[in-house]
Amino acid sequence: MEKSNKFLLIIIFLIGIGIIFSIRLYFLQIVDSSNYYKAQAYGSNEITLNPPRGTILDRFGNLMVYNDALYDLMVVPDKTLETDKYTLSKFLNIDTINFDKRLKKAARYNSRQASIFYKNLPFEMLTSLQEIIHQFPAFYIESKIDRRYNIQGAAHLLGYLGEASEKIVVEQPYYKPGDILGISGMEKSYEFYLRGKKGRRVVLVDKFSRQQGSFAGGKFDSVPIPGQNIFSSVDIDLQRFGEQLLGNKIGSIVAIEPKTGEILSIVNSPNYDPNLLVGQERNKNFARLLIDPSKPLFNRALKAPYPPGSTFKLVQALIGLQEGIIEPSTTFPCAGGYRMGSLTVGCHAHASPLDLENSIKNSCNAYYCHVYRAILDNPKYGSVQVAYKKWTEYLLSFGIGVKTGIDLPEESKGIIKHNDYFVKVFGKNWRSANVVSMSIGQGEVGLTPLQMANVAAIIANKGWFITPHVVKSIGDSYFVPTEFKEKRYTMIDAKHFDTIISGMSMVTKPGGTAGRTGIEGIDICAKTGTAQNPHGKDHSIYIAFAPRENPQIAICVMVENGGFGATFAAPIANLMIEHYLVKDKKAPSTRLDLYNRMITTSLLENSVYNPK
Amino acid sequence: MEEKLHIDWLTVGLYIIIVMFGAVNIYSANNTLEHHFLFDFKMEYGKQIIWMSASALIVFLVLLTDFKFFNYSAYGIYVVVILLLIVLLATGSFNKGAQAWFKIGAFKLQPSEFAKYATGLALAKFLGTYVIKFEGKRNMGICFAIIFFPMLLTLAQNDTGSALVFLSFILVLFREGLSGWWLILGFYLVLIFVLTILYPSLYIIIGLLLILTFIIFMYKKHKQLIVASILVVTLSVGFILSLDFVFTSILKPHQQQRILVTLNQDVEEYYANKTNGFSFFKVELPKKEDKMKSKRDYSYNVRQSKISIGAGQWIGNGFNNGTQTKAKLVPEQHTDFIFCTVGEEYGFIGSVLFIGLYLFFIGRIFYLAERQKNTFSRVFGYSTGSIILFHFFINIGMAMGLLPVIGIPLPFMSYGGSSLISFSLMLFTFLKLDANRVNELSRFS
Ligand SMILES: [Zn+2]
Repeated sequence: MEKSNKFLLIIIFLIGIGIIFSIRLYFLQIVDSSNYYKAQAYGSNEITLNPPRGTILDRFGNLMVYNDALYDLMVVPDKTLETDKYTLSKFLNIDTINFDKRLKKAARYNSRQASIFYKNLPFEMLTSLQEIIHQFPAFYIESKIDRRYNIQGAAHLLGYLGEASEKIVVEQPYYKPGDILGISGMEKSYEFYLRGKKGRRVVLVDKFSRQQGSFAGGKFDSVPIPGQNIFSSVDIDLQRFGEQLLGNKIGSIVAIEPKTGEILSIVNSPNYDPNLLVGQERNKNFARLLIDPSKPLFNRALKAPYPPGSTFKLVQALIGLQEGIIEPSTTFPCAGGYRMGSLTVGCHAHASPLDLENSIKNSCNAYYCHVYRAILDNPKYGSVQVAYKKWTEYLLSFGIGVKTGIDLPEESKGIIKHNDYFVKVFGKNWRSANVVSMSIGQGEVGLTPLQMANVAAIIANKGWFITPHVVKSIGDSYFVPTEFKEKRYTMIDAKHFDTIISGMSMVTKPGGTAGRTGIEGIDICAKTGTAQNPHGKDHSIYIAFAPRENPQIAICVMVENGGFGATFAAPIANLMIEHYLVKDKKAPSTRLDLYNRMITTSLLENSVYNPK
Repeated sequence: MEEKLHIDWLTVGLYIIIVMFGAVNIYSANNTLEHHFLFDFKMEYGKQIIWMSASALIVFLVLLTDFKFFNYSAYGIYVVVILLLIVLLATGSFNKGAQAWFKIGAFKLQPSEFAKYATGLALAKFLGTYVIKFEGKRNMGICFAIIFFPMLLTLAQNDTGSALVFLSFILVLFREGLSGWWLILGFYLVLIFVLTILYPSLYIIIGLLLILTFIIFMYKKHKQLIVASILVVTLSVGFILSLDFVFTSILKPHQQQRILVTLNQDVEEYYANKTNGFSFFKVELPKKEDKMKSKRDYSYNVRQSKISIGAGQWIGNGFNNGTQTKAKLVPEQHTDFIFCTVGEEYGFIGSVLFIGLYLFFIGRIFYLAERQKNTFSRVFGYSTGSIILFHFFINIGMAMGLLPVIGIPLPFMSYGGSSLISFSLMLFTFLKLDANRVNELSRFS
């Protein structure tokens, strides 16, 4: 090779290098410019800024749930520098010996992972530390937000918080592992409003993970949006009163404002203190509640269907009226019960025959056996099966056998059996006599206390209801979801309600089934019920609304193993009504006799759930 | 004696531009979010200005020196530097395991930087001596000895990068008569070596066989070529298999990893790829405790470097505005990875212009070397060009993730006194020789 050719070769080699480098640069800088975005990820740290969670207030603005922020100083022992000791101990008001001691303790636990160095930083210390903490790569401040509850009960209503599960993290990318969110109650159903929106701060970090200021001039930063405060429809005072009355019994109370569908209180007993499910003892307490045989975590008011007993007669009467089976003046005889061949449905002693109004006042079983059979054997439907289907449609319009749509998670739809069930049990051509026990709310029908309270609200409204809900308004704009403003009409015309209401009014007057539990000066319309319970003593049930004109409150009280409706459920309900309607009371009640009997009588000894 | 200074001002101009641009980038790499300042002699770019002044002084002295001095004292300088390297090896400070410098006050003198200069002079002197050509076993042996002696001494100081730089003299020898086949063979072996380690050997063998089939098909009538090709491919396959065998079955996992790291490979990714494909030999996966600590260091540097450059996109972030640079994400950015700052702050357009300018500068040196009328100047010129080219090629290639991480500075740009001074000394020694080309002609004719 000629020597000058070799020089040319070298020049070509130089040009080749230039071309190769340029192509490489083209790929690095232009084509694969996603590297640039990766650069942001490598060179920056995204810090999530958690917004404060919204609080929950009662219908009058009393604080029920709020936040308490705690701040801990954390340390990664391996990353500490000798110089940290002298600077940082001054800020913490501790001497260097104490500093070493704390560090050693943290290192004993795990020298590579963060552990608490200083628990619950006082506020003044926190503010000064926040300004200088970035100079100490081994240290950082961790905030823990704990929920605090102003009420020892209402746990099922308010719910509790927990860590996001793996499933949630996968399904909802908003949540990252370790995030806290509502697991039950209002905390869950209003999670979206309560949580607010996370903010973030993207900071530049150098290779030592030291923060070097805002990334890209704060272009990617966002401010956290605080969660919205929620006004619950619950009256915290009434709630507490109900919990007091039901405290030593098992059962539930649901109170609704009929014209709005707003829940005034949901009481469950046994209950638990929601403060048990926050803080460090949370998991321990939760496990204890979970295995408690009295099932304190169980939300009876929404999830337990009970046979409604005689309270169901109101619904039967309304359907009978609408179907034209009976009129207010229709009478049926009762000679200690209803007999049909070998079948007998017993009744207690009362005058006979009774018209509709008095059948309610006296709670006559025979009357409703006649009514229900007539509904099912109505010739216009051709068969019992078709008539039964029509009957269930009426129930569905009452929100029975279907979820009411309340804004709390996990609601039971109650129990309504359909034709195929009876075909299985009684054969294809089953007869009205087979199901006659349902006429008085026994047998194959079940309602949750919420559904029973809603029946009371429907009667108070003469035929319609608004989906029961525990929210009054959301946020500063007092937003109310539209589904909680719409009237839902039953299949019963308004004109049929007057007779029923006057019958119910007689229940709490002398001679009525709950005549001894009435409240002076309040016209309470009610119906007692006693649900047979194969596992023990009958359940005591009572539904009511008051006052008769312009009703303010509709209520259902269910006391498990409480016996007759009038024994426990009626007094508790009437006391609740009084408590809600009479605002400036001096004593707990004008019926101190009832009040004292309720709070001193414990039914827990008889209970199958008796923890002892 | 009236000597006109026929110095090549174009090269001097390029030199000044590159040195200034280097200082600007060191300033930017220094001026992080932590350090906001206008001027500070304690920072690297402040010191770099001191080195620049020192270099200017050296340049001035070189230009004052009689050009014959370099020829006469070439061997002397070579011997002195070799002695320095030996002394350093014997007594040098044992800091960091590598003993690469003398500490003189705040200044760390790195004799290996000057060894390249001395070797260039010695090689030029030997080949420049009347009647000696790069021919015959004895002369070739002496040439290689001149190169390999300081190279081995540098290697003994654990300064692999600087030692490898001595390979650039092969380009000088190539110019002076070394057969090009040696260069091609060297490239070929290195290529096969790297490919065998990086990819399943089956793929490479299939690839070679495909090329062979192609040659046989295309050149049916060139029997000699076909025979030679079959021979080369057969030898290559043997080389690949034995290499693969040695690598996977004889080398211990930590040795494998050391090689992988030098080849800029992510060790875990490598083993994942290697076990996915077909392999002739069982690959023993490294145990957890065998994982090399330095793996992260190298791959981290290169990854960060590529990201930095990528962040520049078309026009870059502008002077002093590289976010990656500011965040000090690239380790050694002011020394070995100074090109990241160029890439990030001046973008694709700036980087390509810079590379073009630098290559033009190197090409200019070769051009000047080629026009020398005496062998001494020509050999020394080629040495200068080759060494700068080698540094440039490796350094930029490394920063772009094209070449393994070999920590050698970018001449005239990277921070460091020894590097700047020795390269300035070398360049201006050559420019001085070039400037006297005319005088020389007049004297000899
Ligand atoms: Zn009767």
